[in-house]
Amino acid sequence: MREFARRFFARPATVAGFAVFTLILLVALAAPLLFAHGPFSIVGMPLRPPGSPGLLAGSDVLGRDMAAGLAYGARISLLVGVTSTLCAAGVGVLLGAVAGYYGGVIDDLLMRITEFFQIIPSFVLLMVLVSFLEPSLGSIVLGIAMISWPQVARVVRGEFRALRNREFVEAARTLGESDARIIFTQILPNALPPIIVISSMMVGSAILTESALSFLDLGDPNLLSWGSMIAGSRSAMWVAWWTTVLPGLAIMATVLSLNFMGDGLNDALNPRRRER
Amino acid sequence: MAGALVSIRDLTIALPPGAERANAAEHVSLDIGHNEIVCIVGESGSGKSLTAHAVMGLLPRGVAVTGGSITFQDKDLLRLPPEGMRRRRGRDLAMIFQDPMAALNPVMPIGRQITEQIRAHRPVSEAVAMDAAAALLGQMGLADVAGLLRAFPFQLSGGQRQRVMIAMALSLSPSLLIADEPTTALDVTTQAQILRLLKTIQAEREMSVLFITHDFGVVADIADRVAVMRQGRIVESGTTAEVLGNPTDPYTRALIDAVPRLRHAPPVPSGAAPLLTVSGLGKNFRRGGLFSRDKQIAALDGVSLSIGRGETLGIVGESGSGKSTLARCIIRLLDPDAGAVLFDGADIAHMKPRALRPRRRRMQMVFQDPFSSLNPRQTVGNIVTAGPRAYGEGGAASRARAADILALVGLDPAAMRRFPHEFSGGQRQRIALARALMLKPDILIADEPVSALDVTVQAQVLKLLDDVRRQMNLAMLFITHDMRVAAQVCHRVMVMRAGRVVESGPTSEVFAAPSDPYTRELLAAIPGRDRLGFAAAN
Repeated sequence: MREFARRFFARPATVAGFAVFTLILLVALAAPLLFAHGPFSIVGMPLRPPGSPGLLAGSDVLGRDMAAGLAYGARISLLVGVTSTLCAAGVGVLLGAVAGYYGGVIDDLLMRITEFFQIIPSFVLLMVLVSFLEPSLGSIVLGIAMISWPQVARVVRGEFRALRNREFVEAARTLGESDARIIFTQILPNALPPIIVISSMMVGSAILTESALSFLDLGDPNLLSWGSMIAGSRSAMWVAWWTTVLPGLAIMATVLSLNFMGDGLNDALNPRRRER
Repeated sequence: MAGALVSIRDLTIALPPGAERANAAEHVSLDIGHNEIVCIVGESGSGKSLTAHAVMGLLPRGVAVTGGSITFQDKDLLRLPPEGMRRRRGRDLAMIFQDPMAALNPVMPIGRQITEQIRAHRPVSEAVAMDAAAALLGQMGLADVAGLLRAFPFQLSGGQRQRVMIAMALSLSPSLLIADEPTTALDVTTQAQILRLLKTIQAEREMSVLFITHDFGVVADIADRVAVMRQGRIVESGTTAEVLGNPTDPYTRALIDAVPRLRHAPPVPSGAAPLLTVSGLGKNFRRGGLFSRDKQIAALDGVSLSIGRGETLGIVGESGSGKSTLARCIIRLLDPDAGAVLFDGADIAHMKPRALRPRRRRMQMVFQDPFSSLNPRQTVGNIVTAGPRAYGEGGAASRARAADILALVGLDPAAMRRFPHEFSGGQRQRIALARALMLKPDILIADEPVSALDVTVQAQVLKLLDDVRRQMNLAMLFITHDMRVAAQVCHRVMVMRAGRVVESGPTSEVFAAPSDPYTRELLAAIPGRDRLGFAAAN
């Protein structure tokens, strides 16, 4: 474990990413304590610059507290990012594992389905799906999961194909272990490192996607997210820069920190790099 | 030694902190004279390979020379600037490696790879260099040189690739050739050819060769002088005749004794009713791509055998002979295309998984590579008890049995809480054997169980296998490419070539009076057979 931490924190970028992400996570968790009035209540004059009395990050076109919006927006972004990634990873691992382990016709069939999802312009699919299902937290998570699982499935299938002919898997077969047991207890633990790495990156891209949806007014109307903050303030962009730049920076910081942590995880978990 | 070509004095090579010992080599002193072959022999981790790499100035990152000198042509190679070393590398000092596939560039034709090396050191045109390359390949005993120059590495056999590597190494007429286990990855008959080639070329060109090997048989065949390394130190050195005939160091003696010999061939136990009978087994592999027509390759063609309790049947052959495919078809990791496998009164060759399961339980396998046959993410306890648990035995009961079985194979039952990477290769192979024995098999299939192990460890594991076979009255199917190993443990042997059985019979008869020319060729190719006592046994 200590060895893992040493390799994980070997890059300065990973340390920075970890620090920034921890900060965002803490703010998101503490949002109801810090801003008891919630993100939607009007607290003062509109378009006050950051640093005005009582308004750390200024106020938006309606006079709402930007700092509260950013903190509550972090909750939505992280919630969407993590849950959609978990769903996508679950589906992707299952299909990829089955395709990679059995090969043959099963593999062909599952991979054609995967490719079907990969060749459709994914954002268009997502927009159609969300507007068809009514924009809500559930439909957004479902939609993002649906467009991101093929990536996981591809990687997992590759890992399983490489691992299924290893001697310890053959040994498990001669010992009479069932296929499910071989897949989940023998092969999957050995295929975890790349799954963890791409999952961490997928959280970042899910956050970006959610922001883009909210920007197009396809976000959950009952929740304030960073994307919808930018969308609602774009008319004031030239007179009050902070209304769009601050949520934009929040998105960028979150996604970058997740990617940096993904690189760090890759270093820590990838056995080939370990030998250097 | 006066007038030595290369003088290694007090060479100390430090390993990075956290390695299993501080120095890969400690105070190593060795002379390589003009026109002679010097062997460094040792087991894995002895520091023999790093010593050779130090001469070439090619130590891996993190490993550094901390003391001593390597004198070559009145210059200390260790004090040369990088550019000076680069100019000598290839021109004066050349090296060939264990795996020629990894040492050749896969996307460059053979001819270009040789000319590139020549032109890096000499101002000649591509055409002149290409002629030189063709001449060299001819000297290596390769046919169709023109075709070879245009071929890519993957189109060549292992032996051809190693000949190309040697041609490349010799292209600038170096005065020293360093050969790092150049025949270890090759089949035994190919190994014999390459060794003969190296010896001939060395004599013709009167050059010096530093030859790294783990095999005393190879030493006996090729070396003029030999140095034995153990844990970074040279424990004994001298002429080959001295060291082989009259070893003074106990470790050298142990190494020489551990080389399996023919004279131990055990007699065939009599009157055992066959437990497993294989008849006419066939298996085809399809090869072909998008643009070529499918080709059927017969990996197994009408193979028959039978084996009884308490008996060890050896299946001997070179790579591609189908011996591993045979094992996998019998235990049904592969599905045979033709023939029958009679076990316990039923044909299991085409049996449905449900019916097969209780029968396969009594047939277990030990694999070649103990580093890939144990799941790195499971504890030894989980690995060893996996079989019984798969058949519904309780965790506590199987753990108790696992402790006994681990003790039987010579391991401390406390090993159950540890992970495979904490064990050495020999210990891991014991774990793999314990796993197989947990299901109380009647038949044990051992697929090259000792070929990844050092020779002293090999001897221990072979003895263990034999003890276990006797104690549990097992029928053992023993697959190996090494005739010396087969001679030691097998009652009967079956020689395979290209999917067919060419000869079979009691080990002592087959080895003493082989009837098939291929068997004779295999036996003749055993390294060191004359000097290490094979001839005497015949």
